[in-house]
Amino acid sequence: MKPILHTENLSIAFGGLKAVDAISMSATPHEITTVIGPNGAGKTTLFNLISGALKPGSGKVYLDGKDVTRFGPAQLQHAGLARSFQITNLFFEMTVRENLRLASQILEPISHAVRPLRRTGRAARKVDELIERFDFHDKVHEQVGYLSHGEQRRLEIAMCLACEPKLLMLDEPTQGMSHADTDETEELIKSLTQNVSILLIEHDIGIVMSVSDHVIVMHQGQKIADGTPAEVRANPAVQAAYFGHG
Amino acid sequence: MRDRLDISMRANHVFFAVLMGIGLICVALAVAMNDTFYLRLGTEALILGGLALSVDILLGFGGLLSLGQALYFGIGAYVSALVLREVPSFWLAMAAATGVTLLAGIIGGLIANRVRGVYFALITFGMAQVVAKVVYNTRELGASDGLIGVPVLEIPLGVITVSAGDPLAFFLLTLSVLTILYAAVAYLFTTPFGRVVIALKANEKRVPFLGYNTWGPRMVCYVVAALVAGITGALYPMLRGFVSPELMFFASSGNAVIMVVLGGVGTLIGALYGAVLLTFLKSVVGSYTEHHLIAIGVIFIFAILFMPKGIIGVAKPSLERRLIRFDEQTDAARIKATGERA
Repeated sequence: MKPILHTENLSIAFGGLKAVDAISMSATPHEITTVIGPNGAGKTTLFNLISGALKPGSGKVYLDGKDVTRFGPAQLQHAGLARSFQITNLFFEMTVRENLRLASQILEPISHAVRPLRRTGRAARKVDELIERFDFHDKVHEQVGYLSHGEQRRLEIAMCLACEPKLLMLDEPTQGMSHADTDETEELIKSLTQNVSILLIEHDIGIVMSVSDHVIVMHQGQKIADGTPAEVRANPAVQAAYFGHG
Repeated sequence: MRDRLDISMRANHVFFAVLMGIGLICVALAVAMNDTFYLRLGTEALILGGLALSVDILLGFGGLLSLGQALYFGIGAYVSALVLREVPSFWLAMAAATGVTLLAGIIGGLIANRVRGVYFALITFGMAQVVAKVVYNTRELGASDGLIGVPVLEIPLGVITVSAGDPLAFFLLTLSVLTILYAAVAYLFTTPFGRVVIALKANEKRVPFLGYNTWGPRMVCYVVAALVAGITGALYPMLRGFVSPELMFFASSGNAVIMVVLGGVGTLIGALYGAVLLTFLKSVVGSYTEHHLIAIGVIFIFAILFMPKGIIGVAKPSLERRLIRFDEQTDAARIKATGERA
């Protein structure tokens, strides 16, 4: 199948350090592709390059077959890419509803920008849908800063889905979550693939093995393995990188 | 129940209504006592309140501290004075001042919006100083003397004609202009566009990942602020009969920032409360001692220490709670009346 995202020799160096070194990878539509690797392997930097937060030194990024290498974050969002952040990155003084509304109003045409906020229409429907789906009924008017960590992480995912992206990039969505929240998030991520393709960074190997269709392993900026979870687990280079043998 | 941002804006409207009420009572008293001094002082306070409102648009909503907002106030005032000395037409002066400040706001915005934080403050300060000094040294603009001899205006307002020389009429006209500006700005910040501006202040880095351009909304915010300052500035020579380069100096910009901080940053209406308070304080304290700035400075320090959110900030949270409760009660009543389930 034609990949939703692929990169060709994507690289960036900070000073002498090759943080991402000639990464070529792809993500298949409606599958979960997971990037794993030890701390400092370059996973988040790879995310930043793909999502337009950083401009690559060399290489290409294609989204749905289109060259988006030089796109900024806002352009990429319009091209169908949404991402979450490793460190919760929301509008903490606004309520849950206001956050979702802000993310959803991108669905409406620019000509609505200086009209009154509508209680109906596409953005309002999307907000209601997300509140329903992510079970925020009781917290709708709560300021996001007062939510639990798990709830904030969940809202982070909801915010990304507001724009109805083709590709959703999640940077350690379960980071710092309790066991119960982690299990719930795992189920949530699996259920999302009906509508969206997912590129995931995840540390929890249990989750990686259970949700991923495809795993990419990074080590010191390079891709050292690529395959199904079972193939990757059996790969000696991966074992060496993770456990430090050889 | 509504969004917090809507509740917050409604609370501002309540404070606006309170200020209106107090203002109109004071006006009635002034008229009854045949006073003109305080009416004209009140008019000046409102005009300076427009400049403060302009600062709050940037500071309270855009998250940008301008130390040179008097630049646009001064441009509005000078354009208005120049027009009025040739053609004594209120509408022409307002239109010209609006047009020129729009242009100046776009140019200033293109320069200042390249930077943030302390650099933004310094650039706005610098731009205002440069223009003020140019005006100060330009003979055609009256140089250090400013422009005097602005005629007393007859202002046609459809069915009636009011005179700028009539303190009551001009006060009411100024109040109307300020009300329109306040309403327009308040409306703007409740739209989807306004939400993006507010989001930019809260978390600028996240906004592009939601698909929004960050430069555009900030630019619009800057130009709107410039327009508010310019339009109220245009009223200044109609009240005082002259303009001087001091209008653009740092003291004017700095005073406007003090007014906003005193009144409450990010409330829009706080700017008007601050302006009224500071203008009257200066006048009253100034009538006892020429060192009134010392007293003002001390009051300002205490205000910041003990009410960091300003006058409005003290009363607003409890008002917001009342508004929320009111909403819940009306919702409950409606549900009961119609028999629908929540």
